[in-house]
Amino acid sequence: MKSSTRNPNPNPDTPRFGPSKLMLAFRFLRALTLVHRTAPNSSNAARSRRIQRAAFASMAYSAGPRRAWSRALLCRLHFHRARRRCARRSRAAGVPRRPSTTRSPADGLRRLVPGGTGMDYCSLLEETADYIRCLSEQVKLMQSIVDSVGPGGR
Amino acid sequence: MEMNEDRKFGLEKSHGDHLSNRSSGVSADWQFNTPAMSAAPPHPSTAASLVPPLTSSPLLSAPVPEAFVPGLWNHHTMSVGGGNIRNTTSAIGSIPIGRPVAMSSKGMLLSTPPVIFPPSLPHFPADSGFIERAARFSCLSGSSFMDMNLLRPSQSVAPARKASKVVMETQVQNTELSMTGDKAVSLPAAYGSIDQSRMDTQRDRRSSHISNSESQETNFCEGGQEGNVDSSDVAGNSSPSDLCANKRKRTIRDMEKDQVQRGPQSSSEATKDDTETKYKVEQNSSKHGGKNGKDNSEAAKEGYVHVRARRGQATNSHSLAERVRREKISERMKYLQELVPGCSKVTGKAVMLDEIINYVQSLQRQVEFLSMKLAAVNPQLDFSVERLLAKNLRHSHGSPLSIAGFSQEMSYPQVYPSQQGLGHAGSSTMVIPSDTYRRTMMNTQLPIMSGYKEPSIQMHNPWNEEIIMQMDYDANHPPNAQEMNRKPDGFAI
Repeated sequence: MKSSTRNPNPNPDTPRFGPSKLMLAFRFLRALTLVHRTAPNSSNAARSRRIQRAAFASMAYSAGPRRAWSRALLCRLHFHRARRRCARRSRAAGVPRRPSTTRSPADGLRRLVPGGTGMDYCSLLEETADYIRCLSEQVKLMQSIVDSVGPGGR
Repeated sequence: MEMNEDRKFGLEKSHGDHLSNRSSGVSADWQFNTPAMSAAPPHPSTAASLVPPLTSSPLLSAPVPEAFVPGLWNHHTMSVGGGNIRNTTSAIGSIPIGRPVAMSSKGMLLSTPPVIFPPSLPHFPADSGFIERAARFSCLSGSSFMDMNLLRPSQSVAPARKASKVVMETQVQNTELSMTGDKAVSLPAAYGSIDQSRMDTQRDRRSSHISNSESQETNFCEGGQEGNVDSSDVAGNSSPSDLCANKRKRTIRDMEKDQVQRGPQSSSEATKDDTETKYKVEQNSSKHGGKNGKDNSEAAKEGYVHVRARRGQATNSHSLAERVRREKISERMKYLQELVPGCSKVTGKAVMLDEIINYVQSLQRQVEFLSMKLAAVNPQLDFSVERLLAKNLRHSHGSPLSIAGFSQEMSYPQVYPSQQGLGHAGSSTMVIPSDTYRRTMMNTQLPIMSGYKEPSIQMHNPWNEEIIMQMDYDANHPPNAQEMNRKPDGFAI
């Protein structure tokens, strides 16, 4: 079960100036503690998975609903979560392999950036920029957490 | 940052007012303003006297005029929109004046020669350098709506469009030749036919005010343009009427490029761009004529994207749209280049894309790796968080500011908070002092729930619904002083 990081975004009008660091930290820390609190017995791998999802979720929430990638990311997260809650159905046919006859340069990027498949190139670039910004913020945050815990963290 | 938000928000309001008033109302406002303003040189007292009659917006409170007098007489031009008052109230300084001055210069030009403009110009560098990127992207994204409108309208464009509309309006106003609001709106109204463009030209000529730009247009429409000296090549190539019809559009386009390329050097940039043949902008926009009536803001934004064919280039509407698109893409690639470390020397889109992809992949891998590490850190995490917060509190000395900012941020979801206070209060991450952290969290949980009403378009439920977990968030772990002096080793990106 994914840690609940859902929180109404208090910055609905956040333009493209990147995520709110504070909100990111707030959400992620909360999610983190929740993960550790709810299932302390689960394996590290499962927990790390959850933490990772929490990281992405808090990232997406901090970015706000105005970004396509954050919406797509949350869609994906919630979809996965709903799917896990339901019986473990066999995975659907999945994404049909795109006939890559013409390799557009943006294909790799589209795969990486959530929600990138449905965009045109310009928006894709913009979303990528925002996504990179948010990702780097998230990484910094996590790194600082890890650092603050210190080498004696275990 | 927050100044930007407020500015944009205010401009959005003002632009909304423009659009709501449409042509006559806005022009009436402008004309109402102009005789008053022309009668009054930039004088605080007279401006103060002017302010009350012009104050249509309730936002123009008393403290604001006294707050900064120099920008006052710019103010009442903005009082038409009214939204900028919030800007100036929030951020009083030279930078926000740049915007109001820009807007005012637009109004000024209607009545007086742009003698005001030189004083306002210096604001642009300070302003443009900061907002340039935002302006660039919002305008670009807004113009991208043009493409996406053809392909597939998406909701993500809608807010971007709005922002772009705002920025567009700003940029439109940022030059002396910017049209009045009605013209900006009437331009898209002239979509669809070249005849209309000529009508528009004549209408513009007729209704032109005393501005230099207008006079220049009427006098020698060859391209004496924007007060810049870039007329020569344009003069020979364009017919007067077309140029007049398109001059405003070109100014808008040039404004866009100017804004993008460090505004005040608009002359040089415009010179470079003005190796342009005549082009019926309406041709370019005629394909959007059908969508004209859809949305005022969209139409006004369409008016922003007008382009001109460069000399020797095809004037096909498709190729011009393609050119616009390519330039947008290049702008964004440049921005990405700055964002991705170590990519400044890389040239070429393909290599750049690969670098970006690698960088995104590396970031995602880092997140995964760090999450693994965090999963392993389990037992101490509860109070490590507190420690972390406290440590960051030590590092950042703006704790009251951070608290205030945090509370404000959480409590006023509709108003963009003073992000800047938060931003510079914290070096890397958290700035919430641990002792007040819980308190602020608890205090602001309910306001968040009640205040936040605006759902995202698709994620309605998840954004809104929330069970605020753990009000008793982190028990009572006191901040451990053990880790106080540990500097957060932010990832060396």
